[in-house]
Amino acid sequence: MSDELDQLRRLRPDLVLPDDPVDPEVLARRKNELMADITGVPVADAWRPTPSIYPRLAYRDEMAALEFLMRAFGFTERREARMEHPAGTLAWLEVGDGVVMIGRGGEDLHGLHSPLETGKTTFMVMVYVTDIDSHYQRAVAAGARIVMGLEDMFWGDRRYEALDPEDHRWHFAERLSDIRMREAHQRNVTSSADEG
Amino acid sequence: MVEEPDSAVVTASLDDPATFGVIFDRHGATLFRFLARRVDPAEADGLLGEVFRIAFERRTSFDPTRESARPWLYGIAANVLAKHRRAEFRRLRAMGRMAANLASTLDVAEQAVGDVEARARWARVADALAELPESERQALLLFCWEEMSYDEIATLLGVPVGTVRSRIHRSRARLRELMEFAEPSSEAEVERGRT
Repeated sequence: MSDELDQLRRLRPDLVLPDDPVDPEVLARRKNELMADITGVPVADAWRPTPSIYPRLAYRDEMAALEFLMRAFGFTERREARMEHPAGTLAWLEVGDGVVMIGRGGEDLHGLHSPLETGKTTFMVMVYVTDIDSHYQRAVAAGARIVMGLEDMFWGDRRYEALDPEDHRWHFAERLSDIRMREAHQRNVTSSADEG
Repeated sequence: MVEEPDSAVVTASLDDPATFGVIFDRHGATLFRFLARRVDPAEADGLLGEVFRIAFERRTSFDPTRESARPWLYGIAANVLAKHRRAEFRRLRAMGRMAANLASTLDVAEQAVGDVEARARWARVADALAELPESERQALLLFCWEEMSYDEIATLLGVPVGTVRSRIHRSRARLRELMEFAEPSSEAEVERGRT
C-alpha cells in the first residue's frame, strides 16, 4: 500500500490537472490594482491583449536565452508573468504588439526542442522594429550571429537575419516607407530647432 | 543583469512606494500558483491581490537581513488562506474526485482494488486533510506540495523547527490512521467474495 505522503502528493492540484501557465492577464490586472492602491493614483490599463497567434520557443538554457534576447534584440519581458518551475522557467517577451514565449525544451515539455538538440533550425520569427540600423548595431555588439546582412529588399523592407545562441532564427525588418517618414520627421525637428 | 536583492527593493519602497511593484513582478506568479493549489484559481486571483496589499502595508516588518521576500510572502499567503477554509475544502474535495478518476484510468493497482473502493479512499484522504487542525494542514501541505524543508516552513510560519516537525508528524499519523482504518473492511469484502 502506498504511504500517506505518496497519496497526498498525488492529490496535488497541478498533478491532477494539466499544469498550464498562469494567464499573464490575471497578473497584469492584479499588479495594476496593487499599483493604484500603493500610489493612490489610478493606473491606466497597461495591459495589451495577447495576440491571437504567438510562438513558443524551446531552449536548453532558457535563462541565458532570455538574457541574450533582451540584451541583443531589445525585447522587454512581461516580468510579472514569468513562471518559475523546477522543470524550467517560462517567460513572455514582447516588442511592439507582438509576444513570444521562451521556455525550456524537453520531451515532456510539449515535445519542443532546442535546435541544439535536433541539429537543425526549424523556426524563424519575423519581427518589425523601429530604427532597424541601430537595432542591427546593438545585435552585432551583443554577439548575435548575423546570417543575412542589413539590406533594402525589393518588397519594401530593410532587413537582416540573425541566429540566437541556440540557433533559433530571427528576421528583423523595418518598412522603407516608415524609415523615410521617420527620417523626414527628424530633419524637420532639427531644421526648426536651427531656425528657432 | 544582476538583480538587486528583494531586501534592497523593500527598503527602497519605504521612501518610494511604487518600487514595491518589483516585488510583485518577481513573486506574483509563484504566489498565484501556490494559492491556486489551495483554492480554485478564480478565487486565488482575488487572494493574490489581498496578499500583496497586506505585504505592502506591512513592509516595515520585512526582515532586511533576508535576501528573498518569497518566504515572507508565503507566510502572509498562509494566513490569508486560513481565512478561506471553505474555499480550501471545496478545492480539496474536487481534487479528491479528480485524482480518483485519474488513478482509475492510469493505475493498474488502483483498478485491482476496484473503482468504488479507490474513489472512497481518495475522498477519505481529501476529507482527512480538511479535518486536520489548520496549523497541521498548513505545515503538511507546505512540506508535501510546496516541497519545502522543515527549516523553510518554520521561517515562514514564524514557529520553531521542532513545532513544524511535530505538526507534520501528528498530521501524518492521523492521515495514516484514516487510510488504514479502511483497509481491513476492503479485505474482508474480498474474503467474503471468495466464499
